[in-house]
Amino acid sequence: MTVTSYFLPDSVPEALGLLETHGSSLLVMAGGTVAMPLINEGISLPGVVMGLRRAGLDRIERVGAELRIGATVTLTRLLDQDTVPMLRQAAGRTASWSIRNMGTVGGNLFTPPPGGDVAVALLALDARVTLTGPRGDRTVPLSEFWTGFMTSDLRPDELLTSITVPIEPGATTFVKFGRKHANTPAVVTVAVHLAVQGGTVTGARIALGAAGPHPMRAPGAEAAITGSALEPEAVGEAAAAAARECQAFTDGVASEWYRRRMVGVFVLRALTELAQPAGPAIGGGA
Amino acid sequence: MDKVIVTFELAGRDVDVMVSPMTTLQSVLRNQLGHTAVKDGCRQGGCGSCTVLVDGEPMMSCLLPVEDVAGRSVITLEGITPTDGLHPIQQAFLDANGYQCGYCTPGMIVVAKALLDHNPSPSRDEVVDALSGNVCRCTGYLPIIEAIESAVRAAGQQEARA
Repeated sequence: MTVTSYFLPDSVPEALGLLETHGSSLLVMAGGTVAMPLINEGISLPGVVMGLRRAGLDRIERVGAELRIGATVTLTRLLDQDTVPMLRQAAGRTASWSIRNMGTVGGNLFTPPPGGDVAVALLALDARVTLTGPRGDRTVPLSEFWTGFMTSDLRPDELLTSITVPIEPGATTFVKFGRKHANTPAVVTVAVHLAVQGGTVTGARIALGAAGPHPMRAPGAEAAITGSALEPEAVGEAAAAAARECQAFTDGVASEWYRRRMVGVFVLRALTELAQPAGPAIGGGA
Repeated sequence: MDKVIVTFELAGRDVDVMVSPMTTLQSVLRNQLGHTAVKDGCRQGGCGSCTVLVDGEPMMSCLLPVEDVAGRSVITLEGITPTDGLHPIQQAFLDANGYQCGYCTPGMIVVAKALLDHNPSPSRDEVVDALSGNVCRCTGYLPIIEAIESAVRAAGQQEARA
């Protein structure tokens, strides 16, 4: 163990002060479910670490037509809320009970693929993140937050403090395909939010996980079903587009070849599930 | 490197430990406090053999810097075991052969305790889901699931008699 100091700030200003003092040498950790395995294994050898468990970022509250989730709200707490059903579904398919008691919503956004299932749901829900720095807060749509594998728009002097999810009507579904039923890394994760008017899809957000360097939208697939009534042809076209445009990769879970095909299969299944005989159903809430 | 002193509650009793920064709760419990039921398994949060209860919730002690549990309540299998005899869940594991080599058993029983504390009559699916973070390479899980189901039934009968 090479850690010389471990800080547990009691507030965001204190945490920002530590960031300013130590700069990028400070490892920021929330639930520890990603950072601690690397430290225990000697892969990550940080000198100074900041834990966020006491920083006062663990509130979850509905504000008007939005759900505001503090960065260190645990995944278990997403299971206790009914405001955004897709987040409950996503948390329920993530890791195991003990890990959900530790892992946080904010931390999930920094979990490398094929992890980070809740982040995929948040992307389909059009969430925004609040980044707090010495000059105050700025808000970034999640669709613009990630810039590459394990890189993001977060500046070295900023902390991701909350995630805001709009509560809007629409049809949603969350599908995760892994090698086991539970506690399994994803071959692919698909989260969909559709806005529907009179049986016609007027807006679509299709988010893919484990299909690129970070959770990503599938714009070609979204375009293929927008304006449709989720007819089998449109759904098939969307699935084919998603398989083409994803950035599937090979790891110990699945090969690039297999993942790309499974992206098509599970986008097809997700959209088929949303297609009712009388057109897409409007679900309750987001 | 400066050591730090951390105070937390272990099975209802305050304990102080002096550690290097970020020593894991797993290491403190096993190596400093003699709670050897807390196994040093994968150190990745992947096997569940180090599971303990923190404020009643199951967590992987290998992923917790001990500083994070300062002022909080920690319970290991040693804290669940009565002074005399066995806890009903332990007895159920014994009766149903819910173990073979025994390495995963402490974590399994700690999770089972948390499950029954939260939900005294879980369905089989709920038992299976609760155990999904705990790996057993011997039993194939069935005797473990059956042990927990039998502990649930025993507690129900106890309740009915009371």
